[in-house]
Amino acid sequence: MNKLSENLLDKFSMDFLRNQVLKNAYGNDDTVIAGLDPRVLIAWYLFFGVVPWFVQDLPFLLGCFLLVMVTTLLARVAGLVLFLFAVGVFSQTGYLFLATLLFGGDASAVAPLLVLTLKVATISLASVTVFSGLDPDRLSNGLMWYGCPERLSFSISYAYRMLPMLMEEFQNVLLSYRLRGNPPAHDTLLGKVRYLIYQVRIVVESFYPLMLNTAKRSRTTVEALELRGYRYAAADKAVKKIRLSALKVTWNDLLFLALSALWTALAALCAALL
Amino acid sequence: MRTIQKTSATQSQKLMIFVLSMSLYGLATLFTELIPKFQVGLVEFSVEFFLFIPLTLAMLFDPLSAALGAATGELVFSEIMLGQFGGLGELEKFLTVTIGVYLAGRLVKDPRNRTMVGLAAITGTAAQLFMGMVVDVVKVQLAVEDFEAVEGLPESVFATEGFAFLNDLLFSGILFCLLPTLYLVPRLYGKIEPLLGMAPRTAESPVAGLSPKILAGCAVAFLCAVAAELAATAGMSLIDWEAEWAESGTALAIGMVCAAALAVAALLVIRKNSERNVAC
Repeated sequence: MNKLSENLLDKFSMDFLRNQVLKNAYGNDDTVIAGLDPRVLIAWYLFFGVVPWFVQDLPFLLGCFLLVMVTTLLARVAGLVLFLFAVGVFSQTGYLFLATLLFGGDASAVAPLLVLTLKVATISLASVTVFSGLDPDRLSNGLMWYGCPERLSFSISYAYRMLPMLMEEFQNVLLSYRLRGNPPAHDTLLGKVRYLIYQVRIVVESFYPLMLNTAKRSRTTVEALELRGYRYAAADKAVKKIRLSALKVTWNDLLFLALSALWTALAALCAALL
Repeated sequence: MRTIQKTSATQSQKLMIFVLSMSLYGLATLFTELIPKFQVGLVEFSVEFFLFIPLTLAMLFDPLSAALGAATGELVFSEIMLGQFGGLGELEKFLTVTIGVYLAGRLVKDPRNRTMVGLAAITGTAAQLFMGMVVDVVKVQLAVEDFEAVEGLPESVFATEGFAFLNDLLFSGILFCLLPTLYLVPRLYGKIEPLLGMAPRTAESPVAGLSPKILAGCAVAFLCAVAAELAATAGMSLIDWEAEWAESGTALAIGMVCAAALAVAALLVIRKNSERNVAC
């Protein structure tokens, strides 16, 4: 048990996380999905993110699922994201299934739950394709074109730029607390509990310097933005037009849409025939 | 210098608070998204809550900016960056987090009053968790087609959701929201404000205190979250109807396939042509 937890901790070291997130954000610019127009992809996502909720046909759902699986493979999404997706989907519905059994349901509960799992999986894979497949700048431009608030696209760009730095800083603060701290012995059960509490306390305490540092940094950021007239630029139509002029719908985008439509129509046909 | 000393924040200070809250809470939720959840039988110890970060910031600064920043941070860092964006569900999460944090921030009149800080922290958490629970129950009821027909499912959903609510409130609510907030607010008070160029909040600040108007505003926002669900129900019957209509005519489905196939073929030809044109 001890070994297992240590193994897990090794896997989930801070550097590993940082690498995975960065890889996810910037590591796959050359895929088919990343080359598509963000506006087209978002529209595509809106279809596959909404429609499966409302459809109960198994063949149709299965068809949609296969399609988004292919697009996820095309987008070459980082392993960690896929792992999280799998854990998320199966823990959610598997948990519900166990609870149903416990409260006197029987195997007949499986069918609706399977449909539910399929829906959830399709929707999350579609979002993985779009939001991990695109690089952040294109994504935020696409969202802006649809009239999302400027704040949101600013947040996305800012988050991707700042995250590695923030993670590193958090790690440094945490390590410095660990260096100065004296962890309780964790051989007995009571000691283990105390050790856990100690760890949690360190994490909470390390947010104290982190908050102060981040406050300083966010002031610098905002002042730099203000100097360049950010708040006026955000509201100005001409600036928006210049920023969005780089977006262009190509034949590839239309082909992607048409292929998706073909596949979905085939699935609908199957659903109608069966 | 009077203008700098005034207690309500300027626009750029609000942006600073927004950025601060967004990056800190975003970072924290990113970790919680990555840590697998502890689960002992039915009891789920969700260590999901770093909610103390926006709670602390909402009590020290302008509550609305801090609340919006936290919700945006969660959306951007842990949902969009990790590709876990779930569509409709995220809107509810966004609204419930905003309401919970905002309420807590408004409740506190003077951040030096520890009793008030603790009370506000636990109230905000409870509000957020309760709204999340209501929305969850509604969601499952909508998603599973014949919800009532499956034996044992309704009871199990109500029981587990109610249990998770109590468990989250008593376990992570006290451990991860109440205690850290009580620890951080008095320590940060008067230290973090000058870094953003502001005067510390006092009982006279215009951002403190709850009025019926604010409560009504929160209720409206929560109704929006529920309305998203109800709209989904309405949409469900609409699209269901359309789907039935499409099923009845197999010809229609065949027509759709033909049209899509035609479009694919045409686009392939056009693309080839345009490539040749470029090459020439």
